[in-house]
Amino acid sequence: MARLNTKIYQVDPLRLTRKSGSLKLFFGHHIKLAKFSIIVILAVPFISSKIVRAMQTADEEPARYLIVGRLIDAQAQPVIKAHIEGSVIGENEPIAESESQEDGSWQLGMNEVPHADLEILISEPHFHSTTIRIGDEERSQLLEDGVYRTGELSLERKITAAFWISTGIFLVVILLIATETLHSTTAALAGFSAIFLVSYIGGAFNSDLYIFDFEQGLSYINWEVIFLILGMMILIAVIENTGIFQWMAFQAYRLSRGRVWVLSLILMAITAVASALLDNFTTMLLITPITLQISFALGTNPLALIIPEVLASNVGGISTLVGTPTNILIGAYAGISFTDFLVNQTGGVILALIGMAAFILFYFRKDYLTSHAGISPVLYKKLEQNAHLDDPEGLWKSGLVFIFVLIGFVLGEQIHLVPAVPAIVGATVVLIWLKPDVQKMIKSVDWTTLVFFMTLFVVVGAIQEVGLLSLGASAMSRLIGENLALGIFVVVFGVGTLSTAIANIPLAASMLPIINYLTLTIPGAQSMVLFYALSMGAAMGGNGFLIGGEANLVTAGITEQANTPISFKEFMKVGLPVTYITLTIGYLWLFFRFL
Amino acid sequence: MEKRILCPTRGGQASYPNQDAAIELAIERQAEIVFLYVTDVHFMDHFASPKLIDFETELEEMGDFLLTMAIERAQKSGVEATGIVRRGSFRQTLLDILDSQKVDAVILGTSKLETSMLTPEFIKDLASELSVHTGVEFIIVDAGEIVVSIKDEDNRSKKGGAEK
Repeated sequence: MARLNTKIYQVDPLRLTRKSGSLKLFFGHHIKLAKFSIIVILAVPFISSKIVRAMQTADEEPARYLIVGRLIDAQAQPVIKAHIEGSVIGENEPIAESESQEDGSWQLGMNEVPHADLEILISEPHFHSTTIRIGDEERSQLLEDGVYRTGELSLERKITAAFWISTGIFLVVILLIATETLHSTTAALAGFSAIFLVSYIGGAFNSDLYIFDFEQGLSYINWEVIFLILGMMILIAVIENTGIFQWMAFQAYRLSRGRVWVLSLILMAITAVASALLDNFTTMLLITPITLQISFALGTNPLALIIPEVLASNVGGISTLVGTPTNILIGAYAGISFTDFLVNQTGGVILALIGMAAFILFYFRKDYLTSHAGISPVLYKKLEQNAHLDDPEGLWKSGLVFIFVLIGFVLGEQIHLVPAVPAIVGATVVLIWLKPDVQKMIKSVDWTTLVFFMTLFVVVGAIQEVGLLSLGASAMSRLIGENLALGIFVVVFGVGTLSTAIANIPLAASMLPIINYLTLTIPGAQSMVLFYALSMGAAMGGNGFLIGGEANLVTAGITEQANTPISFKEFMKVGLPVTYITLTIGYLWLFFRFL
Repeated sequence: MEKRILCPTRGGQASYPNQDAAIELAIERQAEIVFLYVTDVHFMDHFASPKLIDFETELEEMGDFLLTMAIERAQKSGVEATGIVRRGSFRQTLLDILDSQKVDAVILGTSKLETSMLTPEFIKDLASELSVHTGVEFIIVDAGEIVVSIKDEDNRSKKGGAEK
């Protein structure tokens, strides 16, 4: 009996991992700086309500008789926060009430078994209400055992006004980001605000407009992602300000001895590796200006060096957990470790880069084979000056810390250490050891990005809550059936094609629950292959069009500063074939590795 | 005192014709050229990805290199040239330089790029406005050809002496 009176904690492992890890991180971090208030404002109501609820639960008297059950949706995912109400038939007042937990389980406690039949009403705003009747037989069992188990009950989704409004808000956010009408963060924040306005104000007048409450909305924020990005931002800011990538690009120029095709291959390799270990956006910010200078000095077409670089940066990032924002999302959601990404993706990434390089050499053959005038001594000196290492001491110290962080990622898996912890520890060590200007370093943290992720999680959470992603999962499931090879194909090419035009971060975030469902239902998909397919599709698809990825757009912005614009058409002529070459290679890699 | 021609440029091969026009004019007027590069990072405003580095300094270094190339080209033609790299809005930077330095003429190139704000209309309006404000001659070039030369007197005669 005592065992049954404790709360049931058989929660979805994905949700438990991310939530418990994130809370520990949250409390363990030094919240001294004002800008942390953004996180604090969002997180405190959520955490405090959890504490209050835990205290209330501890004070409750244990009930003698329990009726327990579990609620799931059509995808066998737990239904959370459904209201459970038990009443004696013919009486108005309920005799017991409760809510379903994170694993969908619920229990109704009572100190005596009623003499008449019971009716249990289960209601949740986004599902059709249903009732369970507890008749003579069930009541006898309850009296005898002290517990009666109703088993799993699948609830049927209800399409409410909130469904259409949440879907509309999500699509508007995507559109605002894609068309650059608003800054991505402002767009996501607008979506976040709209969701809660509709839920609270609209929901007060019409229950069909209710989406979720504030606490439930914030529960969709993946704090592991936020802190991993935060830690990596500080590390990257220190490493990349040392001038290492500009220096490497200059060494590539020296090594190539004026052979542009060799220079292009080396620059592609540098950007791919840098993007795998750091991030492709910052890598392109650093490498594009120096590449422009080298190409101008050589008198070659700058785009023959820069477009291959940006394509390589989008592909290179796939091989590690921290290489792309989408990988960070996937890793944190599905519990895929740094080593898992490295082992399962690197081979495919290298093959894709080789395939891409072959096409690039063919496409830019005229630019690469044209002989170029030698660089003047004045320009060479200027180039060397602009590409020197700014801070050699900072480089070796931050490099050493970064290596330990990578080791932490790998070894941490053995003790279930979430990657955010080594990243934050590494950032702290760098701040203590290198003693950079803390104010400057904190300014280096891009808070708008963190707010973008937090608010985007809530917007995606809303479409998950109202059932849009559930419908998407059902549709995908009907399309794919139990054919894993087809599943990998659909995810790689479907997500890849969508990513050519849609920002891949919101796309990946909204695909995660769908991929999770397919992983649970398709035989053999438990290897997480569909998550790897999502990673490849989201990143490689970004190469299709200029608007497919932020690294592409920022590169175009920089080249325009040197009166060398990259047109949409020009990029597409290279990017689109490269996208489908790399997607094909990526698909074949996953097919042969996992099937 | 030697005449000075200010030539704002963004470097790159597409700017060579306009740089050449400035060099030719400098030879003709026996003037020296001051090349100007203005870093503009407003295009960064729309990105969600983290901006973790002092990117404007990277652009300044690139601008410095591009001006070195432009100076080298001018010097090969026997024209004295120097370069200035500045941060900020193009219009304000141009105004600041014209207010603080002696400049006899400004050569402005236009851009036909859809994404560029330096459209022929924008450049013409800017040249007219700054010419009235500073009294400096503005010469607008397109693909190396002089399109129009705007002086304060021209504006005054066209607009009946009314200043903007």
